[in-house]
Order: sequence, then structure tokens, then C-alpha cells
Amino acid sequence: MAAAATTGMTAAERQKRLELTELLNAKYQWIDRTWDVVFWITAIFIVGGAADITKLLFAGDWDFWTDWKDPQWWPVVTAFATIIIPSALQWIQWVAWRFPTGATYTCTCLFLASWIGRFFQWHIAETYPLNFIWPISTVPAAIILDWILMKTRSFVVTSVVGGVVWAVLVWAFNYIPLAPYLQPAVFMHHILTVSDVQGIAYIRSQTPEYMRHIERGALRSFLGETQYVSLVFGGSLAILGYWIGQLIGRYLAVWPIGKYIKTY
Amino acid sequence: MKRERLPVLAVAVMLLLPMMPRAAAAHGEAADEPFLKDLTVAFYDVNIGPTSVTVGQPVTITGKLTILDTWPYTLDPPQTAYITPVVPGPVFALTDRTINGEPAFGSVEVEKGGTYAFKMVMLARDPGHWHVHPGIAIQGTGTLIGPGLWVDVAPSGQPFVLPVTLLDGRKVNLETLGGNFVWWWSFIGFLIGLVWMIYWTVPKRTVTRLAVTSQLPVNDDAPDIGLITPRDHFWMDVLAGLTILLLVIGWVGMARKYPVRLPQQTDRFEPTSLTPSTHMATVRSSGATFDQSNDTLTINARIHNTSASPITLKSYVMAMTSFVDGPEEELAKAGPADYVGKLSVTPDGAIAPGETRDVTLKMTSEVFEQERLIPLHDPQQLIAGLLRFTDDQGHQDIVTLKSVLVPTEFRPQYLP
Ligand SMILES: [Cu+2]
Repeated sequence: MAAAATTGMTAAERQKRLELTELLNAKYQWIDRTWDVVFWITAIFIVGGAADITKLLFAGDWDFWTDWKDPQWWPVVTAFATIIIPSALQWIQWVAWRFPTGATYTCTCLFLASWIGRFFQWHIAETYPLNFIWPISTVPAAIILDWILMKTRSFVVTSVVGGVVWAVLVWAFNYIPLAPYLQPAVFMHHILTVSDVQGIAYIRSQTPEYMRHIERGALRSFLGETQYVSLVFGGSLAILGYWIGQLIGRYLAVWPIGKYIKTY
Repeated sequence: MKRERLPVLAVAVMLLLPMMPRAAAAHGEAADEPFLKDLTVAFYDVNIGPTSVTVGQPVTITGKLTILDTWPYTLDPPQTAYITPVVPGPVFALTDRTINGEPAFGSVEVEKGGTYAFKMVMLARDPGHWHVHPGIAIQGTGTLIGPGLWVDVAPSGQPFVLPVTLLDGRKVNLETLGGNFVWWWSFIGFLIGLVWMIYWTVPKRTVTRLAVTSQLPVNDDAPDIGLITPRDHFWMDVLAGLTILLLVIGWVGMARKYPVRLPQQTDRFEPTSLTPSTHMATVRSSGATFDQSNDTLTINARIHNTSASPITLKSYVMAMTSFVDGPEEELAKAGPADYVGKLSVTPDGAIAPGETRDVTLKMTSEVFEQERLIPLHDPQQLIAGLLRFTDDQGHQDIVTLKSVLVPTEFRPQYLP
């Protein structure tokens, strides 16, 4: 059965769907809402942690410092790094409960995890100003990714369309708060961006300037439109990241309980 | 302790843990292998001051460093470097840096044998008792550090301000530029996400839907059964629409408020090395010993004066330490006191032009052990440093001396 329309069904099929409707609203003796609460709350830590670790692993410094949020590398690595776990959760929550919530859930958990870490550890304990070390926000992009899955009901379409949309939205939503730090400033007899000044002034003895992977200019820069080339490349990598997430969601994350779940 | 307090304690410890590395970070410098510190870079004439300031006042670090010709083959050759203050986090804010008198906002290109004079000005940002060093991060190697000094920063009663001039002439405070917008912007997005989650998880049951979904194909959202209804579609369209609206409003606001935006800037230059091109002397070492029982380093060297005037060996510089043959005033000028010691040269005195002299350098200091400068059990039992000479016209020269180091006794050990 490919579509939800009830037309063109046999009487038996129609009967089956009526039974399922009853089952959806059935009262259970042992399983009540407490289970739902327990699930959603305990998963916050696991999902938030998994999303945060994946982001830090692949896009660590780009997420930490404004002077790493460049036109060339930042959109690419961030798009790839942040779509993996949302994709895995999309599979799990869609297949298990038909909820278009996997990406939004992951990214709201990630929001909490990154802000708590960034605020207490980096701002309060290490005293870096928040306007230098703020974490990116992926929630708006996640809402659109979930919306695409809900509309298309297809993981293939969501990966292709959603991957590109993800790269663009994650970048665009975080470029807005970045803008004040891209203003030109005069510092040490040079024209620098404010973010460069932040990177110099707030001393990072173990993250010297040359470690920045940022656009440094090359002959192969495409008509100076590095930004758009990067977004296209970031979109392609996000599609790949989406399928890595699917692999995790479909096999890795559920294999311990897989043998107890019957799927059709 | 009552048992129920345990979880509270556990949580408290977990929250405090991230703050602990900060206290320990003041003295992590001894961790590098001794020969790596000795054979790579020598720091000298370092001056850090003033040592007691209030928040907002400047502290200046000046000094020189030489990237030694003895740079170990086990490391990538030195090429790109970043001269930086080494402090526990952003407790100071760097506002100016010159290398050989040239403004240097970023990394520089360096060479083996090169000597560079640096000056860094920092504003005290956080009150506390901070150990301040100059350091040089070299690509492929890491951050090598120079001698340090404790600087006390007292509160000023006012919040720290870091003024920066924008290209259009406006002055902004870097500490607060942009306000809390980064937080509020992120938080609004989070709120829409929260509404999205509440919409699905609060009115609808979760776990029991598996009984239904497991009997349907994956691409069936079953509006007839009630899994995802037209009403759900309507509200999700509203939330998705709000998200896009937020993006459009944010983008228009951003483009109006900050019309001029640049990509991050990068530049590197190659400061001209200050190492003298002709040397006053050639030196060779016939070996060095270290006596752990009294922290004494002894180096045997043969010095040949190749210049036209008599020369005097004034000091020996190794890694971040300087050992000076001279009166107390000269020792005080040689750098932070913890890293300066007395050098005894026998036989002492000027070496005549053309003369070759065998001398013994002796220096005793606890800094050798504190900073782990002596290889006692390493794959490269080598040390290197700079011999600093002056001639009778006051000219100065630095010559690199590399020595094999043999401890006076190898300690017996049961474990490797
Ligand atoms: Cu120190």
C-alpha cells in the first residue's frame, strides 16, 4: 500500500484500517503516558550528547569561534556535521511513531547541550565573552527538515532536497547573528573583521592563528563567489551526512532491540 | 553524611569539574620532552611588566627568541609560527603585537636560525594571580614557551571594556558588541522547535503508536487512521512558515544594520631575522653532564674567536632560562628571576682574537628540574643553547652550542 487513500481498497483492507484506528485509540492497562514521559526525557541526554559530540568532532573549532566562521569551510563542515544525528532520529521517530519530529527533537536537545556547555564552561569558568564563543543554532533548519519529511513521506526525497535546504538554512540562520562580527575594524594597523580582532584579543595559546581553516584566497576561487560554491558543496556533503545518519538510525541505534520489533 | 545528599554532591562535583583545569593550567609547561624544549627555541631578554595592575591596565611582554639551528629532525621544520602570550585563558586581552618592530596581527613565516624581537601589549581582563609567559606556536610542533612571571590583577570596580575602532570610525566595546542577540536569536528558534515538539508529544501518545505503525508501510502516514491528520499538516505549515518568516525578517534586519561585511582577514609576512650574519666565534662542545644531587649542569666547550677584537662569554641561554656571568644587576636584567641563574666560566675573561680556548660552563638551578629541561632518560640525550658574546666595542653575538648530555649517574630503575 503506497498511499493513504482508502479508495481502491478491498473490503478486507478497509476493515484492517478500521481496526488500526481503534488500536491507535485503545486503552492499555500497563502502558500509560508515564512511559512516554520517561522516553522523551531520558532521551534528551543521549540524543543531545550524541548530537553535540558529532558536531564537536567534525566542526569543533568552527562552532566555537567567530573568527573560524568563514565563507568557505564553515558552511561545508557544519552542514555535514550537524545533519547526521537529526537524520538518524528522523528515521527512528518516523518509523516507530510516525512523528515528523526527529530532527527538531535532536536540535532542541542539542541547543540545550551546547548552550549549557558554552555558557558554564567557556563563558563563566573560562571567561570568554559569549559574543565570541556562541554555538550555532540548528533548530530552524531542523523544523524545515522535519516538515519536508512530513510532506514527502520519503527519506530519499528528504535526503536530496532536505540536505541542500539544511546546508543553506543552517548557514543563513547563523550568518545573521554573525554579521556584527564581520564588520571591518582597524586593529594593529590592519583592516580586519571584528571576529579576527576577537580571535587575536581573547588569547588562545593552544589554538594559534595558523590553525584556522578559513578561506585564505586561491586562484581557484570561483569569481569571488566562494560562499555560494561552498553552500552547494555543503549541500552535497549534507546529503551524504544524511545517509550516514540513516545508517545509524536504521541499523546501529536499533540493533539491540531490533529482534523484538517486527516491521513490515 | 546522609545518603540522600550523595546525588547532590555528585552533581556539584560534575559542575565543578570543568573549572578545575583552569587552576591547573597555570603550570602545564613542564610536560614537553626536555630535548624538545632545549633544541628548538631559546628565549632571552624577556621583560614582563608591570606585575601589579588593575583590570583595564596594560601589561607589556618584550623579549627575543631564536629558533635554533639544532631544531630536531624529529619535528617538522619550522616555517609558520604565531607568537603569543601564554596565559590561562583570556584573563588578558591582547591589543598590540609587533615582531621586529612590524605590526603582526597574525601568524608569521620564520626560519631555522632566525632571531625575532617581540613586543606584546595586553590589557588585564580578569582579576587574579596569573602566570604570564611569552610563547611561540610553530606549525606542526605546538606552543613552546618562554620564561614566566606572576602578575597580580586587582579588580577596578568597573567592568572591563575593550575598545575597538570600526572602519567607519565608530568605537565599539568588543566585550558587549552585538549584545545578547546571539542568545535571543538562537532562543527564538528554539522556542518554535519547542512548540513543534509539544504539539506532537503532549496531546498525542507516543509509545503505543508503535502497535499501529509497525503494521503499516514506512511511507504511509495514515490520515484515515489518525497518525498524521490534515490538522497536523495545517499547524506544521504554520510553524514552518513562521520559521521562514523569522529568517526573512532576521536577514533583512541584518543586511540593513550591518551593510558592510568582510571575510575574515589573513596575512603573513616574513620578519627579517636579527641573527648576526657573521659570527665572532665558532664553538664546539665535548660533552655535558648533569648532577641531579645538586642540580648542576656542566658543559665543556671549545671557543675559537674568529673576530678582530677580544670577546667575552656573557651568558648561556637554554629554552626559557638564562645563565649570566656577571653581577646581580645583570642577572636581574636577564629576565624573570625564576628562570635566571648564575653562570660560572672557567677560565674566565676575554678571549683574544684568533685564540682557541677550552672552557667549562657551570650552572646550578632548581629550574632544570622544575621545567624538566634536562634529558635524563630520553631518545635524544642532547641539549642546546645560545652562547652570548660581547666584544670590547659592545657588539653582541649569539652562537648555538649543542652538547651530548650524560647524567653523572643513571638512576637504577625496575620499571621502564
Ligand atoms: Cu607558567
